[in-house]
Amino acid sequence: MGPDQRFLGVLDTSPFRIAIVYSIVFAIGAAALIYAVDFAVSRVVDGSTDNLIEAEVQGLREQMLVLSRSDFIELVEQRSQDQDVRGAVYLMVDPQLRPVAGNVPAWPKIDTKEKWFLFKVAVPFGDETREHEMRARYFALPGGYQMLVGHDVQERQDVKSLMMRGLIAAVVLTLLLGLGGGFWMGRRILAQAGAISAVATQIMRGDLSQRLPVRDADDEINTLAREINTMLDKIEQLTLGMRTVLDSAAHDLRTPLNRLQASAEGAMSTLTHGSAERRVLEQVTVEVDRMRSTLDALLRIALAETGTVAREQVDLSELVGSVVELYAPVSEERGIALESSVAPGAHVLGNRQLLAQALANLLDNAIKFTPDGGHIRVALDGSGSAPQVIVEDNGPGIPADKREVVLGRRVRLDEARDFPGSGLGLSLVAAVTKLHGAHLVLDDAGPGLKVSLKF
Amino acid sequence: MHILIVEDDEVARDYLAKALREAGHTVDVAGNGLEGLHMASSIAVDLAIVDRMLPKMDGLALVQSLRATGRKMPVLILSALGDVDDRITGLRAGGDDYLTKPYHMAELLARIDALARRGDTGNAEASTKLKLADLELDRMTRRVMRNGKKIELTAREFQLLEFMMRHSGQVVTRTMLLEGVWDYHFDPQTNVIDVHISRLRQAIDKDFDKPLLHTVRGAGYSLREDE
Repeated sequence: MGPDQRFLGVLDTSPFRIAIVYSIVFAIGAAALIYAVDFAVSRVVDGSTDNLIEAEVQGLREQMLVLSRSDFIELVEQRSQDQDVRGAVYLMVDPQLRPVAGNVPAWPKIDTKEKWFLFKVAVPFGDETREHEMRARYFALPGGYQMLVGHDVQERQDVKSLMMRGLIAAVVLTLLLGLGGGFWMGRRILAQAGAISAVATQIMRGDLSQRLPVRDADDEINTLAREINTMLDKIEQLTLGMRTVLDSAAHDLRTPLNRLQASAEGAMSTLTHGSAERRVLEQVTVEVDRMRSTLDALLRIALAETGTVAREQVDLSELVGSVVELYAPVSEERGIALESSVAPGAHVLGNRQLLAQALANLLDNAIKFTPDGGHIRVALDGSGSAPQVIVEDNGPGIPADKREVVLGRRVRLDEARDFPGSGLGLSLVAAVTKLHGAHLVLDDAGPGLKVSLKF
Repeated sequence: MHILIVEDDEVARDYLAKALREAGHTVDVAGNGLEGLHMASSIAVDLAIVDRMLPKMDGLALVQSLRATGRKMPVLILSALGDVDDRITGLRAGGDDYLTKPYHMAELLARIDALARRGDTGNAEASTKLKLADLELDRMTRRVMRNGKKIELTAREFQLLEFMMRHSGQVVTRTMLLEGVWDYHFDPQTNVIDVHISRLRQAIDKDFDKPLLHTVRGAGYSLREDE
């Protein structure tokens, strides 16, 4: 696994996905909060400012009725200079919108019929000036004059934008922490899962003594790992028990067969060639051989079924090629065309000897059942870790309703009685296929048998 | 040759001892692992035949102990288990060859002969050229000549001939060929090896007066000069 794949792998883990979902939910919540705060602050602050302006407008209107224009101008000037009322702005203009009195240099462009509006004024700020935002309203004075009363709301804007920035920063930080945390947890899970799958691979290779790594913690993964380990203990005991039974069965059958063979051979050496006694003993050794090959096949089938066989990377391309090559002269002698196409580079995790024997059995069967002058096709398709081996002949084939049956132990169809063999050939192929997690399919080759091993 | 048999099955042991003596060897026997280890360590033994499952000390443990104490004599392991993995464990423990029961005496004799001569043929294994009478095989150039005439062989026929030449003068069984040339440890139901051998015989013997590749009845084949 390269660094890129490992990075992408983390993105696929459940903690990282959960972190993404939580971060998105949190971001939506935070956005709603920002909106709500903004709305509430605006209402409170704008409301109080508006009340202030409204009161001022009310006062000026009352003065307007009792004061002469020059006194009113003086009043406006006076209010404009008043340092106590911080942030208040006034402007009185003549009908040509020329300023008459007030602390705003020019009448702002008012493009709305609304009585409330916002405009900007340059305000001295230390040695410089700053554009401040003003909220204001205006009203008409007698003689076409107009009056503007407003209030500096820049501070409010500053506070608001500061608050906004703070909130947004907090949201971004939370999102980053959320994703980072998710990534970290994902990597932890991935590391644990990686350790578990490494052990699982070892177990699948036949090493049942392997156990999942367990840390000193009671989280779900560790609990699960402990339970799986307990299960593996039991499986190991069972398979070891099966191995032991198998080994003692092998021993108890091979030992008397060996004695029988030894006694027969020993007795034979004292007899002259061609004597009746010697012929009987020769027949005994022939039967011992036959029993031995049946026993070998049965034990190998049983062994394959326990799954306790050492496994390694097997070059299937090389193996198929070599088995075909082993059988080529025999088929040539029978006038059978043995055609093969082997894709290079196909590998499987398995047991070379068992795979070789399974392939040999298939070819053995094909040659046995194909008439002289027939043809056999062996193909290895696909490369990488999912190859497929096909052995196809133009012999009598196996009737569709009997294809399942022949894979069972010791099944010899009536049609095959005339041919030699223990009847365990295909059973061994089936057991070896199963051991390698492959599929064995028997098909009609029209005419003939087509056997496919799909890894 | 001085051979030690460590085997707890009396019937098999007695016959084995008798057959080996008839073949001209000096034989000592032990009925359990400890006795076997003791004898193998105290007597000058040229070769040991050790049963895999023994009382008092397991056959594999015996072989491991022998190897650990620096005893290098060839060891043939006999096993009543005998399957793909057992063979590997047997050889890993320090065994030189592995034979599953029941076995033919001819097979066992051929194998101990091959084991005993392994030391002698050490040079032949290292040298690039193998020679028997007028037959020459060059492992570097992968050329085979007989009586100065070039013989065309397939890659497998070449390997087969090379194996036979390295064991020239000995009996080579079909299973030995299957193991040594193909690295297969099972008996094919069809006599595939015989056909391969007859092809090789066609190639190296057909056009010459003296045949070199002989069939040994009931045992296997032999590549040798006489007869």
